[in-house]
Amino acid sequence: MGSLPLSEPVLLILLSLVERPRHGYSILKNVEEMSDGRVTLSTGTLYGALRRLLDDRWIERFKEDESSRGRQAYRLTSRGRQILRLEVGRLKQLTRVASLRMVPKEM
Amino acid sequence: MLSLCRYLLYLYPPAHRYEYGEEMIAVLRERQAETRETCAMARWMAGAHEIVGLLRGALQEHVRAATGSHPWAVIPSRRFAMRSEFRFPKATGWLMTLILAAVVMAIEKAKAIQASIPEAHPQVGPIQPEQFTFLTSVALLFVCGCVVGAVGWAVLFALRRSGVQRLEELRPSRGRSSGGGLTI
Repeated sequence: MGSLPLSEPVLLILLSLVERPRHGYSILKNVEEMSDGRVTLSTGTLYGALRRLLDDRWIERFKEDESSRGRQAYRLTSRGRQILRLEVGRLKQLTRVASLRMVPKEM
Repeated sequence: MLSLCRYLLYLYPPAHRYEYGEEMIAVLRERQAETRETCAMARWMAGAHEIVGLLRGALQEHVRAATGSHPWAVIPSRRFAMRSEFRFPKATGWLMTLILAAVVMAIEKAKAIQASIPEAHPQVGPIQPEQFTFLTSVALLFVCGCVVGAVGWAVLFALRRSGVQRLEELRPSRGRSSGGGLTI
């Protein structure tokens, strides 16, 4: 896939949608939580990223309930899940190599 | 802070505002409620963070709307290509061709006049090119700047019109997902 590696905010946004669909504020809070407060997305940044993910069809948007005032929520598409799996696999492989290299060699 | 952010949302392209404006305001409102009980410094920092984010987001959306790609997006784009949904308005192409043809014709006409005058009216003598003084050059530059600005504005106006038109075409098919009009 030409889209990898993902940037950290995008990876975190996608990870926040793995378990269940979320709305904008819930994504922001979950991203903060997952990164221990290191990544704090602003609303403008979040919606720029969401729009791009929607354009690429990695996520989809739907109403949480059927009423016209129902909040919009976002969920991963199968394509999004596939991208996420590939990225997590890439990171695992990288971590494995890094951990092997970083272990002090016994003389 | 919320009212300032509402105004900043007007910096976004209308299509983006229509699609995400209400949602963004809802998130900003929740953000504000969350920081209400923190100290003034933390509130100020959070507000500044949101304002910078909105300004950057608006700029990115305008660039995206004009070029079809996100140059400084959160998601790095490795597919720098024209998107299929981006179409340069046909009218702009015709307009630019027409302007170019008019300029070329004017140059050719001027050359013909310059060549014919000395023969037809020997008392007038050969036409010499205009010797520009500093002030004339400045005035000429100013006029050129105005013309370029006007043409640029016309192109942007045509782009915006075509964008609004495309949005209008999209609306019926997105009926369920767009969530009604923007009330900001």
